[in-house]
Amino acid sequence: MENLISKKDLLEEANISYGQLYRWKRKNLIPENWFIRKSTFTGQETFFPKDDILLRIEKIKTLKDDLSLDELADMFSPSPTLTSLSAEELSKRNIVSQTAIDMFNNFHGRNQSFSFNQLVTLYVLNSLLQTGDVNRAEGLDLLELFHNQAQTVKNAGCELIFIRKMGVSFFILTPEPANLCLEPQAKKIAHYKLSQCMEELKLKLS
Amino acid sequence: MERTQLKNISISGSGTSSGGEYDQVKVNGSAHIHGDLVCEQFKCNGSAHLEGNITTDTAKINGSTHFEGDVEVKEMTINGSSDIDGHLLCDELKVQGSSTIKGNVKGKEIIVRGSASVDGNVSSDEIDVKGQVKIKGDCEAESFEARGNFKIDGLLNAGTIDVELLRHCEAKEIGGENITVKKTRDASGFKKLIKFFMSNHNDQLSAEVIEGDNLYLEHTHAEVVRGNTIEIGPGCDIKRIEYKTSLEIDSDAKVGSQEKI
Repeated sequence: MENLISKKDLLEEANISYGQLYRWKRKNLIPENWFIRKSTFTGQETFFPKDDILLRIEKIKTLKDDLSLDELADMFSPSPTLTSLSAEELSKRNIVSQTAIDMFNNFHGRNQSFSFNQLVTLYVLNSLLQTGDVNRAEGLDLLELFHNQAQTVKNAGCELIFIRKMGVSFFILTPEPANLCLEPQAKKIAHYKLSQCMEELKLKLS
Repeated sequence: MERTQLKNISISGSGTSSGGEYDQVKVNGSAHIHGDLVCEQFKCNGSAHLEGNITTDTAKINGSTHFEGDVEVKEMTINGSSDIDGHLLCDELKVQGSSTIKGNVKGKEIIVRGSASVDGNVSSDEIDVKGQVKIKGDCEAESFEARGNFKIDGLLNAGTIDVELLRHCEAKEIGGENITVKKTRDASGFKKLIKFFMSNHNDQLSAEVIEGDNLYLEHTHAEVVRGNTIEIGPGCDIKRIEYKTSLEIDSDAKVGSQEKI
């Protein structure tokens, strides 16, 4: 089971008030499914996935001076904020590498501009290549997977896991929160939360 | 491209229509509309039954209507009665008669002077209730003002919650910044007369958990109350209080345990 934190401990640790927490919930800055209700000796209590919520609150606190709550909500929402970006601009602004763009273009044919969902694919591919977690051939597998599962990716709340066992590798795309149990020889090479990738991407694009 | 002039529908007596795109739709008798309707103005003085969805700028219902689909409207006034099977999306909603909505309600300003019941969730910038409201889901607003009777099965979450108690109010959980619950003081002669027959203990709010930054509560029954500054007024019965900055308790209140955290 995921590491949970109670509402009371969260307020203490993140140093925020009830009012702030409820305001952010109202503004959709914190996803509904992070509010987990459990019974305790004082009755029902609300718990949160600890790492996710602390990271999110940290982000809200650092960004809220520059962005309005509504702009923040846009950033955290799975729906795209922009429609498309040209290939030229992508590499000029150093959002993804030329290598990733070339691989993407080889697979899908030449693209003049990329939609938000294509950008997400590119972003994930780029970061896997940059970290050296996957090689080119495996990168193509990823493109294939994202291409076939476009609808799943679009609806967000997905996690991407890359596993290798004795040199054989494969990707897993699963709804959040993923809870995988691996055999000992299998190695989890990379683990991405797509919703987090989208946030990072939106931050880079803005 | 020039926009083609849209036609109007006016049904006086009894009639049917297949729906479509119109400028004004007026029902003075009884009407049955079979498809989706898109129009600038919808007015029903009699009774109307719409099988599809409706999108309109203004909707005024003086009689009774039944919408089987979703309703999307800028300004809606219900003086009679209205049933919506789908979701309601609006800028301004005024319910002066009675209304039931099976889906969710999303708006900017919701004013209830009659009675409204919603099976889904309600979210709006402002909610002002002087009547009766029943919500089976959650209710979210920047400001929630109630002087009447409400029952919320889920979470009431608002920046400012201002409740003047009249009869029994209920929410499973209440959370927000500033929460004030008071008993109505300016009882009119008529109310005093009713009070004479009904027991006085009915003016009460009950909730499992109430959490907020600044709380003032009267005649409130709750399991747990948590907040920064808490003032507990008369008539309260609270099992447990957790506070951060300050806590005041009226001598006429019952509190199980209290803890400064």
